[in-house]
Amino acid sequence: MSYTQRQTPIYSQLCTLLIEDMYGELPARVFTVLDRFGRQRRQDISRASYLEPSQVAHGLIILIQQHLIFHSPATEPTTWYEIDWQQSYALIRVGKIVAFIEERFDKKFAYVASNLLTLGHVSLADLREALFPPSEEEEEVVNGKKANGTKPNGDATSNGQTSLANGTEHGDPDDETLASPEELYGIIQTLMEHGWVIQAAEAQYLSAEEMHNIARQQALNEQWGGSVPTGTKDKDRLAQLIMANKRRIRDTWLEKPTSFPMKRKADDSSYGSRKRTKINGDGSAGGSDQTPEDDLVIRINPEKAAVAMRNRHLVSLVEQRIGDTTARLYEILLRSLEKNIPRCFEEHPDPPPTNVEDQPQWEPNPDHVVNTKDITQRAKMLGVDICEGLDPHYVARVTKTTANKEGVLAQPADHSSLGFHERQELVEAHLELLVIHPLHFVTWHARGQYRVDFDLLSKSLIQQEIETTVLAKKGNKARMVIRALVRKGRVDERQLCNAMMTSPNDVRTLVSDLTLQGFVQTQEVPKVDRREAKLSLHLIWYDTQRARDQLLHNTYKGQVRHLQRIAFEREKVQDLLTKANRTDVAGNETKYLKQTELDDLKKWKEVQEKLLLQLHRMDDLVAVLRDFYGPLLTA
Amino acid sequence: MGSRADMLYEECAKRPEGTTFFQRDLTSMQIARDLNELLNLVADLSNRHLLKPLQFEGEPCWKLRPKDIADKLRRLVPDERLLYQHIDNAHTEGVWSKALRAKTNLAQPTVTKYLKSLESKDLIQAVMSVKTPNRKMYLLKHLKPSEDVAGGPWQNEGDFDSALIEVAAKVVANKVQDETCERVAGSWNSGASGHRQAAIARKKAQVKGVPDIEDALPVQPYYPPIDSGASRLKHKRNPPYPTTIILARYLNESGLLRGKTVRDSDMELLLDMMVMDGTLENVSASTYRTVIPPINQKYNGFVDAPCGVCPVFDLCSDEGPITGRTCAYFAEWLETTSEEL
Repeated sequence: MSYTQRQTPIYSQLCTLLIEDMYGELPARVFTVLDRFGRQRRQDISRASYLEPSQVAHGLIILIQQHLIFHSPATEPTTWYEIDWQQSYALIRVGKIVAFIEERFDKKFAYVASNLLTLGHVSLADLREALFPPSEEEEEVVNGKKANGTKPNGDATSNGQTSLANGTEHGDPDDETLASPEELYGIIQTLMEHGWVIQAAEAQYLSAEEMHNIARQQALNEQWGGSVPTGTKDKDRLAQLIMANKRRIRDTWLEKPTSFPMKRKADDSSYGSRKRTKINGDGSAGGSDQTPEDDLVIRINPEKAAVAMRNRHLVSLVEQRIGDTTARLYEILLRSLEKNIPRCFEEHPDPPPTNVEDQPQWEPNPDHVVNTKDITQRAKMLGVDICEGLDPHYVARVTKTTANKEGVLAQPADHSSLGFHERQELVEAHLELLVIHPLHFVTWHARGQYRVDFDLLSKSLIQQEIETTVLAKKGNKARMVIRALVRKGRVDERQLCNAMMTSPNDVRTLVSDLTLQGFVQTQEVPKVDRREAKLSLHLIWYDTQRARDQLLHNTYKGQVRHLQRIAFEREKVQDLLTKANRTDVAGNETKYLKQTELDDLKKWKEVQEKLLLQLHRMDDLVAVLRDFYGPLLTA
Repeated sequence: MGSRADMLYEECAKRPEGTTFFQRDLTSMQIARDLNELLNLVADLSNRHLLKPLQFEGEPCWKLRPKDIADKLRRLVPDERLLYQHIDNAHTEGVWSKALRAKTNLAQPTVTKYLKSLESKDLIQAVMSVKTPNRKMYLLKHLKPSEDVAGGPWQNEGDFDSALIEVAAKVVANKVQDETCERVAGSWNSGASGHRQAAIARKKAQVKGVPDIEDALPVQPYYPPIDSGASRLKHKRNPPYPTTIILARYLNESGLLRGKTVRDSDMELLLDMMVMDGTLENVSASTYRTVIPPINQKYNGFVDAPCGVCPVFDLCSDEGPITGRTCAYFAEWLETTSEEL
């Protein structure tokens, strides 16, 4: 089973709560049955759930449409259903994805994306008809789900509903209305080029196991004519081919159709199409209603959100550790790479070679390299004050002026009037700050080129989060224990005390505390064949993977508690909410509600916002711990 | 004869303290008339514990003992003396009481008793070993325990001297900060501060009228809040980063440690500790710089919420006395009320 598919009771509870919140009780009931009994057939589900078969079917349709469950391939005689845990959790990120797209492109893109998210997957023709209904009366029904094109986020306005897709405020409706189907195509194409939208495929409904079987069968058919090889070498080769097949299947989803319905291309600078795609190309595109690509079924790329989240997390870390201006430049740098990165880590890597000498040499990924020149140019376009956040004496030298002891420049430097070379030097200075930082946010690659080693960074991000958690929970000394153990490996108490320069009494309480919390492990190694405490070595050690799992589990639990608390708080004001949501009251709250009721309503909104915000911040932590890097191997 | 022996002793005492005397040295003092007499004199002095017989590369040699100690030694019972000899042999390393027992074949109570009496006679001292914290090491009273036993400059009586470490860390931290950082006035570049730029940008936008969507940028221009009054700590660009050796020398020259010297390895220990502490960070393997603390420390979503630091988090469940509904910490955080049990 894939690492990201692992599921604990608390995790399944969290997913169930999310589904109930988003899609209501019926899908959640079907979901819980699948959760309790695992892989099921349809009739099993209706037997276990006391639901009518038609109700089960309805629930399954919603779950399938949203990619929340897997089902076995259509070629099989019976269809089995199984939960897609990764996708189920991803419901929490719906709002984030829309916000990310809006931040990178504009509101129209966000509008299209939120529609796509609501629909799960949709063919291009259906999406067009949903957004541009042929006539007003005929509201299009897409795959059983209504897409009425005006309110993509469900009932975002009603007071009582906790809409998790709260990423966008639809303040200015004019801003997001699409002018023509061509514009829609342009947006879809751009989103596909940047990897935010991918093709939906049958294989996405396959569980990890079925996917594996298909990839295996393919490999067997291609290489060994269907029979299973016996030799050790052949077996290794088979394992390799299976992974290669899995990757190939997955990579086809990312492909863009070669002939897109429109003739013009969206602006394709590597920095994202910040410019509106120009509509007034040639008119011939607009006329035809039927295009060959209408059958193209698309969906939002679930893996891309993690990439954007990783970049955002890195930027905020730089903001805290180095400075705002450097963080802005780093953001520019990461954004320019984002297009090339479809996912955070390879879920189907080649199996490691059995002997160490065969280990392939680590090579920097050329996709993760940026030019200083590009960054400098973009910083200029964005008006980033690149003088800020540097050693003033250096700025003074570059701008050929002097600085006094306090760093005050004799001749103020205005970043907007700097020459090209001065600009480049200052940007390099910022990048250097990133290079020498112990976390190595970027690495020097070649002259004028820098590289981001995402894998190394992701690993240290996990460690950072664990340390931050320990620091906040138990204080600086406890963090020192963790850091000392990371440096020294498996040690006994005395060695730990020496590294920390602290007396054993202080260390002992900390260690036992951290052990109880599951961050640190202890071990007893007998020196003689009797198991006597006196004659045993007592070792203390720390394993990042274990601490990571522990913290992840706790975070899920925290999220569940937050959702439960939201439900509880809503329960308390339920009567008021019912009243406020009445059609006559909605919109005229001040007129019909008493002052105390208005206050309560305001309070409830604040409480809900606070809880939701924290829920999403915990999701950020989940992303760091789970989605940026695969399982860490322990020696 | 007694006086001659005393003469020999006096003669030897004139030499620098701790000198080892070989037979040729003693003969050259020309106190004994012949070899036989010399041997008698030496035997006499040895019996009175004024000379300590030793061997160096198979050759017999002697060392002088102070008279008061010799006096005390003469009054010891044989077993005590045996213990004393073993402890003497261990020099500054000291010897563990259990090892003494093994070497002398005495019973444990005897050993304990005599060690106590030796201690009370001011002949030996007991020191807690740093390497093995629960072992008492015995060595002669006038010796300074070796580093293996007593630990480096950071240790005192077998334990870390936390006050000293704290002071030393502070001094080193200040030094590193002086070397790698500088305080920059908030208005260092006042002529072109963010405010002015923001004003320019606004002006531009006004001139252009409605901002065109074509100008919408993926990374929003951002002006950090500038507090012109406050000065901030900034890293210097490419300063000579202080190394372990430089910092060790600095600390030794500061005279802070009162006679103790810090070797490079001791310094490394301290610096490592400070890196783990979060005061310093490594630039390369042996160079350091100050960590500039973030202006507003944020943790993460988990610990900023009540759940992350909740003392009863592990007891919290869907049902029972502690749940999300009855949580006191949520109520405090949200300023609402929780369900009463």
